[in-house]
Amino acid sequence: MANGTHRKLRLHVMRYNPRVPGDAPRLQTYELEEADGMTLFIALTEIREKQDPSLQFDFVCRAGICGSCAMVIDGRPGLACRTLTKNLGEEITLAPLPFFELIGDLSVNTGKWMRAMSERLEAWVHMRAGELDLTRIEERMDPALAERIYELDRCIECGCCVAACGTARMREDFVGAVGLNKIARFRLDPRDARTDADYYEVVGDDAGVFGCMSLLACHDVCPKNLPLATQIAFVRRKMAREGLG
Amino acid sequence: MQARADVIAGVGLKDKPRKSRWPARMDLAQSVTGLLLGLFMWGHMFFVSSILLGKDAMWTVTKMFEGYFLFGRPYPVLVSFVVAAVIALFVLHALLALRKFPANYRQYRAFSAHRRLIRHGDTTLWWVQFMTGFALFFLASPHLFQMLVHPGLIGPFESADRVWSGGWWPLYLVLLFAVELHGGIGLYRLAVKWGWLQGADADASRRRLAVAKWTLTAFFLVLGLATLAAYMKIGYEHRDRAGERYVPARVQPAPVGGGGQ
Amino acid sequence: MKIVYTDVLVIGGGLAGLRVAIGAKRRGHDVVILSLVPAKRSHSKAAQGGMQASLGNVIKGQGDNEDVHFEDTVRGSDWGADQEVVRMFVNTAPKAVRELAAWGVPWSRVRPGDREVIINGQKVTITEREEAAGLIAQRDFGGTKKWRTCYVSDGTGHAMITAVGDQAIADRIPVHERTEAIALIHDAGRCYGAIVRDLVTGELRAYVAKATAICSGGAGRLYRVTTNAVICEGIPTAIALETGIAALGNMEAIQFHPTGIFPAGILVTEGCRGDGGLLKDADGHRFMPDYEPEKKELASRDVVSRRMEEHIAKGKGVKSRFGEHLWLDITLLGEKHIRNNLREVYEICHYFLGVDPVREWIPVRPAQHYTMGGVRTDHTGESPTLKGLFAAGEAACWDMHGFNRLGGNSVAETVVAGMIVGEFIADFCDRAENAVNIPTRLVQEILAAEQAKLDALVGGRGTEDAAALKVRMQEIMTAKVGIFRDGPVLEQAVAELEQLLVRSRNIGLRCKGGGANPELATAYRVQKMLKLALCVAYGAYTRTESRGAHFRQDFPRRNDAEWLRRTLATWKSGSDTLPTLAYEPLDVARMELPPGWRGYGAKDYIDHPATAARAAEVEAVRRRMAGADRFAVQQALMPFAHLLPARLRGRNERIDERF
Ligand SMILES: Cc1cc2nc3c(=O)[nH]c(=O)nc-3n(C[C@H](O)[C@H](O)[C@H](O)COP(=O)(O)OP(=O)(O)OC[C@H]3O[C@@H](n4cnc5c(N)ncnc54)[C@H](O)[C@@H]3O)c2cc1C
Ligand code: HEM
Repeated sequence: MANGTHRKLRLHVMRYNPRVPGDAPRLQTYELEEADGMTLFIALTEIREKQDPSLQFDFVCRAGICGSCAMVIDGRPGLACRTLTKNLGEEITLAPLPFFELIGDLSVNTGKWMRAMSERLEAWVHMRAGELDLTRIEERMDPALAERIYELDRCIECGCCVAACGTARMREDFVGAVGLNKIARFRLDPRDARTDADYYEVVGDDAGVFGCMSLLACHDVCPKNLPLATQIAFVRRKMAREGLG
Repeated sequence: MQARADVIAGVGLKDKPRKSRWPARMDLAQSVTGLLLGLFMWGHMFFVSSILLGKDAMWTVTKMFEGYFLFGRPYPVLVSFVVAAVIALFVLHALLALRKFPANYRQYRAFSAHRRLIRHGDTTLWWVQFMTGFALFFLASPHLFQMLVHPGLIGPFESADRVWSGGWWPLYLVLLFAVELHGGIGLYRLAVKWGWLQGADADASRRRLAVAKWTLTAFFLVLGLATLAAYMKIGYEHRDRAGERYVPARVQPAPVGGGGQ
Repeated sequence: MKIVYTDVLVIGGGLAGLRVAIGAKRRGHDVVILSLVPAKRSHSKAAQGGMQASLGNVIKGQGDNEDVHFEDTVRGSDWGADQEVVRMFVNTAPKAVRELAAWGVPWSRVRPGDREVIINGQKVTITEREEAAGLIAQRDFGGTKKWRTCYVSDGTGHAMITAVGDQAIADRIPVHERTEAIALIHDAGRCYGAIVRDLVTGELRAYVAKATAICSGGAGRLYRVTTNAVICEGIPTAIALETGIAALGNMEAIQFHPTGIFPAGILVTEGCRGDGGLLKDADGHRFMPDYEPEKKELASRDVVSRRMEEHIAKGKGVKSRFGEHLWLDITLLGEKHIRNNLREVYEICHYFLGVDPVREWIPVRPAQHYTMGGVRTDHTGESPTLKGLFAAGEAACWDMHGFNRLGGNSVAETVVAGMIVGEFIADFCDRAENAVNIPTRLVQEILAAEQAKLDALVGGRGTEDAAALKVRMQEIMTAKVGIFRDGPVLEQAVAELEQLLVRSRNIGLRCKGGGANPELATAYRVQKMLKLALCVAYGAYTRTESRGAHFRQDFPRRNDAEWLRRTLATWKSGSDTLPTLAYEPLDVARMELPPGWRGYGAKDYIDHPATAARAAEVEAVRRRMAGADRFAVQQALMPFAHLLPARLRGRNERIDERF
């Protein structure tokens, strides 16, 4: 981009603080000049520093790895920190992720929801009974399997998949792609002692895998490009078999 | 030195009432009924479109279903059996589908707002499926009922008269679009839902599936429209003698049993 | 006013905080974790490269053990580290990796047979052993003799914090997300918890605990250009300082990472160079061998960063609109390697630079990266001066890094310290005399005092702009307290920071609202950050030598004779504008590895008077015990096992070293 020919951007930001009595949702417009390599992180930070210190949003790593800054960018959920403004038009609309509890403006409480989801699905490795002797050589694992587990472990719990999910829009107790992907991940992991019968207990219903209507927006918006479509299908097959057995 | 490994799977699960297996069964049933209906619709379309090959062809197909070539005389009640089975599938499928319907206006609003905002292909397709499914409820039921009670009234003139003189063609026209869209999307969804035909590159497979789906839908719509046009034409030409049964030239001398004059 | 009671209050939900919490919880104590953000979003997540532990599974790591890891770490620290703590650390690191493996971290594993790697710009075929098949693999990292860095593709920190965070959930440890500790509750030399602000409602609460652990990570945001997350502001470190009792150690020891992408400062991992990536200048010339013929791109970070800046100063930098930079060339690693093993790097280049690292070079320049200093603790993780206050992880000066930490040693420290300090905290809570006996009235007074400070900021008539002060502070730090330091410039920096501190007492807010009020947060944070910045700048100014990452152009030599000492900063009174510095000598006579040349960087240093004697002593012991097993020799030189919690004392099995 040549110097001096920067565009004027107009950011229309959804503002609403549910904690302020009488406040109502509204779009507020901020204007600013684009800079080279400007991301929405840079733009919003500049707005808060120079124009409106009350604007709420969440950024942590600003490098696309922590999942804090998911928001709805021109209608689609995505990570704001790694969205370059040059890939957007001059009019940019930003809204908080739907579905999650709104904290204020662009900030939503995905963390709280993720924790509840993890507790509900028992999303951790359930070790086999017995003592773990840490002085001994670790258990072996097939390198390819380790890579496949990592592939699914890459989820950053940003909430984009749930925000994009039409099922979740109608079923508030739906575990979402994030939850089903976790089940796929633990099922793959030989260190987790659970069986399909155990997994059925947590996702074998219409709030779990059978609720999924395969709209696959989760797959299409996932910032980490996780193979959600195949994983949900996989979990569904396993749970259906479990249900028949 | 040791670390505790006190989080163990399945503890207590044995004593707990296990979760119901019905959600799995219902999900499977929905897919199986959808699949059977979908496949049936394809077959159905091919049989019906035999009219494009001529009235005799259509007559032959009809009679085949009535067991004419097996038993030497037609038994339209056989058709009723098939229709009854389809109705059962249809009803079961529709009942199961109700689980996925927006339960109230709020949910309906939420989904439709979501669909408009996110502008996402497969999400919109579901909406189409929901709408067409809902429509099928009303469009397919009369047709199925008709076939159930008048199984003998299927044939080149009989059907054509129903289409034209009976005034059913608008219903069939809408039904055609609803079924083809609904069934096509449904079969595509079945494939992604269960992970069928998913090669090494799942995204590429999904794109291929989508292309296949639209191709099939287009094919069946064209075929369906042509077929409907054919019946309308025959019905129009036959309007003065509506109600007359069709008897192919080559079987003229043979006695015509069953159906009644 | 709300008071929350618990046994252990952990400030910080990063790797260190989570592991401390799990340790204490599994010993039966109630734990509450505070975190600015959901725990798994802590900056530990960002560690890409890996975790050091001497497993010695890969062929290039064969022969690795605690002794080698120990030496690398001490040399890396430029002898600033506490050698006993380093021993505790290297002995526990393999256990930590193995525990994480059992908890589900999908460590990359060894594939037996031939594989091609890039070493020193050349393709080399190495053959992994059959015995190592499926064991945890290691990669090369700067400053290490052996390949020791265990990794998960290039998302090591992510995978680690996911697994540890999951275990914390399994253990039902509550994480109070979106809360911020803004003051410690202490009385008569004993810490009792913290005053905490709810970042959603803006409400203040008191958390009263037997033990309080600061695990809040680094303070990279003191600098304008940093690889750290925006939440790495070091506030809990500052509130420890504000007690006037707890001390901060070696705050001037700040590490700069050679490869921050330019200009955003986002890190691309050391793994790029470890796997064979090269640094190049404006002419496309690979310049590191000219400066460091032996370790080249893989010398320790302080050395590489300095050489890069030196090279830029010689006019060899690439000029751009935002200033000058150099190139990191990983194209020689090939598409498959980059897309699989360095995917995160690929994504960062793609999304933030629009560069395809498979074909193009990456613009890089050193950026602030790590805070070696922090809350000074003893080997148990407790502050020697403020009882009941513990610290672990990057926020602590436990002191295993001294003046420079090695890549991969930091995430290792977080979990290792978590395992060790967690046990000591549990021991502390077990002792009856450590019951909480602070009167509620006192807690309420402290809470009210903090509330009054915030009210004064919101309601006051100050005129200074908090965000502007912060930016100014960051600019001063990057420009004047950076990689190359110089007396007069530092003096200036200290003076300017003092002025900023004074001005920060007169901040006025534009946004008067209650609730979350992000501007209010900036205001009270910048007041605290300025104190930390002053500890760094003033400590750097006062330390008239060069050691590890602290490099003084006017005193380019390491000076053990005068400076083999740890800086301790305290903040005596609220009206002060400078920290009070004191120095804690390191005891050469007890060192297992007496000071010497690091093996890279300048060879020029001034010996401590006791060094020669200790070196001779160590030499004598080694000669006398020639042939004895390495554990016996080590034990004779510097016993340490008694310092570890009993359950962590065992020896570590390896394929080449079975017991
Ligand atoms: C980009 C990058 C890459 C790195 N790569 C590597 C690597 O490859 N290998 C390696 O060994 N090291 C690496 N490091 C260093 C390493 O990641 C960190 O030093 C380490 O993870 C710090 O962990 P921690 O638990 O101490 O702190 P963090 O993970 O930073 O956690 C701090 C916690 O404290 C909380 N907190 C902060 N302030 C407050 C407050 N006032 N109140 C309440 N809670 C608070 C935060 O919410 C957070 O939960 C890297 C660092 C960076 C920046
Ligand atoms: C009253 C009539 C019908 C209604 C109300 C209806 C409704 C629905 C709905 C809402 C779905 C989506 C379910 C989901 O998202 O999981 C669906 C799926 C499907 N429908 Fe129908 N449908 C009807 C008739 C038909 C007919 C006649 C066919 C055959 C052409 C058909 C074929 C399918 C298929 C193949 C699926 C996919 C099944 C699955 O996702 O598991 N449906 N139907």
